[in-house]
Amino acid sequence: MFEANKRKTAGMTLSRIFSHSVVGAMLLAAGMGAQAQDTGPIKVGMIFPKQGPSAAIGEFLSRGALLAVEERGGKVGGRDIEVVFLDEPNAQQAQQNFQKLVEEHNVVGVVGGNSSAAALAMTGVAMRTQTPLIVAGAAAREITGASCNPYTFRFQATVPVQLAGLMPILRKNGQDVYFITAAYAFGQDILNTGRALLKEADGKEVGVDEVPLNTADYSSYVLKIRSKKPDSVIGGLVGQDQSSFLKTWNAMGMKGRIPFYGIAVSDTDFWDVGPDASTGIYTKPWYYNDPDNTEGDRAFVKAFMDKYDRPPSDKAYAGWLSMRSLLDSIEAAASTDSKDIVKALESWKDDKGAFPAFYRDWDHQLIRPSVVVEVKDKIADKWDYFDVLQHTSQGLEDTLADFGTKEEVGCNMAALS
Amino acid sequence: MFEILLSQAANGIVLGFLYVLIAAGLSITFGLLGVINFAHGAFFALGAYFGLTLYQLFGWAAVPFAPIIVALIGMVVEVVLIRRLYGKEPLLSLIVTFALALLIEALIRFFWGADGKPFSPPDFLSGLVEVGPLLMTTYRLSVLVATVITLAALWMFLSFTPYGRILRAGSRDPEMVEMLGIPLPRVLTGVFGLGCALAAIAGVLAGPLWNVAPSMSASAIMPAFVIVAIGGLGSLRGATVAGLLVGLVSALTIQLYPEAAGAAMYLFMFLILLIRPRGLLGERWERFE
Repeated sequence: MFEANKRKTAGMTLSRIFSHSVVGAMLLAAGMGAQAQDTGPIKVGMIFPKQGPSAAIGEFLSRGALLAVEERGGKVGGRDIEVVFLDEPNAQQAQQNFQKLVEEHNVVGVVGGNSSAAALAMTGVAMRTQTPLIVAGAAAREITGASCNPYTFRFQATVPVQLAGLMPILRKNGQDVYFITAAYAFGQDILNTGRALLKEADGKEVGVDEVPLNTADYSSYVLKIRSKKPDSVIGGLVGQDQSSFLKTWNAMGMKGRIPFYGIAVSDTDFWDVGPDASTGIYTKPWYYNDPDNTEGDRAFVKAFMDKYDRPPSDKAYAGWLSMRSLLDSIEAAASTDSKDIVKALESWKDDKGAFPAFYRDWDHQLIRPSVVVEVKDKIADKWDYFDVLQHTSQGLEDTLADFGTKEEVGCNMAALS
Repeated sequence: MFEILLSQAANGIVLGFLYVLIAAGLSITFGLLGVINFAHGAFFALGAYFGLTLYQLFGWAAVPFAPIIVALIGMVVEVVLIRRLYGKEPLLSLIVTFALALLIEALIRFFWGADGKPFSPPDFLSGLVEVGPLLMTTYRLSVLVATVITLAALWMFLSFTPYGRILRAGSRDPEMVEMLGIPLPRVLTGVFGLGCALAAIAGVLAGPLWNVAPSMSASAIMPAFVIVAIGGLGSLRGATVAGLLVGLVSALTIQLYPEAAGAAMYLFMFLILLIRPRGLLGERWERFE
């Protein structure tokens, strides 16, 4: 009995020594990582789609972000920047890759997130690992709304802001509206917000389709919309789905017959299908040929065209501005400590745009107007598909009002810890 | 309501014919070679890309050469890679061809870019055909005709030509075919090329309908597998019936219960396999059991 207890005690001691060694090794590794971040290159993470239907969008997001790194000569705070670029194939793997960036690569911040589902999955890891995340592409309101946290910032305007910009134009066509949206977080947000705005405007919903992602053939959906004869269609489709829909819409003779509206689309959605199939009015974060673009915007367009022989899409701009804000904030913080970077991001302002964009301190949403564009009747240029109709707001007061109050947004930001 | 259901049914059948063409190549590859070719969708995408490139370089007249190019690529792949999978665990062929699919998608992205490519039907096939409640684009009708001709030609080739007889005999009893002095490896290379050519024909036809992008293979491969499973592994007639049914079920689900649109064909497969585990026209093959 005594021997058994002795063995047990010895075993416990051994296991304790082992576990202490493991903890010690982990602390040592973490310390070494921190030391490396104090002296070596500053590692910044990037997570955008490299494969699948959103690969083209991911390419533009990453190109814009990398251009922001190049513009600084590849340095921040006098130290080299090392970008670690991982894939965003779906929400689960994006979340795992975020974890990998933090635990294996010791990044000081991450720019990423094209799909709302992936972005929402990543925000939880950002909070848990206390790593600043700038969500560049996703628009679902939860990211800076109910799911907001101190370490997550977001570039893209929320769905309510973008839809509100379209509603006054849409209502001129009539009250009967048909929704065709993607069956995931972003599409559901469009549907719910659209329904609420339609109700306020005494409009009528004549049909709804929530379409599975990566639907190849839209002909049955188009037949259905055609039979309902709506005054307008609100789309919430993304990437290849938007392109496939437009292609079928045009092939089935619907282009020009029923007006089509959408938000958060990207230029690549239209370049992919060509001028013949492109149609509609959309809210976008930015357009490369907007007459109101500033010198700073134009310099970015020129740098992008020089490097890639094509103009930047709005996603490239999103990647560029998101990465710029992160690098500027690391520089301003003069530190790689995540809390210092978060505080610097909260004070960051874009001095190159027409509107002095900034992250609102209580929800970390980037405050800047979006642009409402219409596909040109005759597209003569290979890249220039849109006429700019208007911006969603003008001054600071209007823009802040568009982005909603604390109660409307629903963000209860935890304290920075 | 009846009118829109009729219209959706007609549209579903046309879509089903395209599915049949995609699935036919997969069915032949499995039925004659015993290989589950997960890269079938990638050859479908290659067909669309080669079709587009040939059109851009030489016009529409050159587009029919796209399936021939893809067939040749497929034959090279068979000699280098697929040949080593004959008689092995089906799981092995699934894993290897899955890797092959990823490789081909990466190569497409490397050579043609990650973005989609505009590809419209030829001018002489643009426009709409409207008969009563039925609305169809001229191009979709052309796809229907082209698919029927291709499937009929394939059936005649397999049923009435000496080469077709060798293929069918080889699929049932390869040892006996070799004992008769027929060089089976070359025959099998041809079979794989034929499967790839069928995928490429479907890709060329689908290019102006869908979106030509590196990920288009994913849109093709899942319906193709579902159709082959419903129709019965290796049964061309089964694949034809199953393709039409899947097209019909998908279109009507979108009209009647759109929430289930993404799951409809899988649910349909589940029900069929519950009733007939070998699929609608599946037979017992000693080779695979």
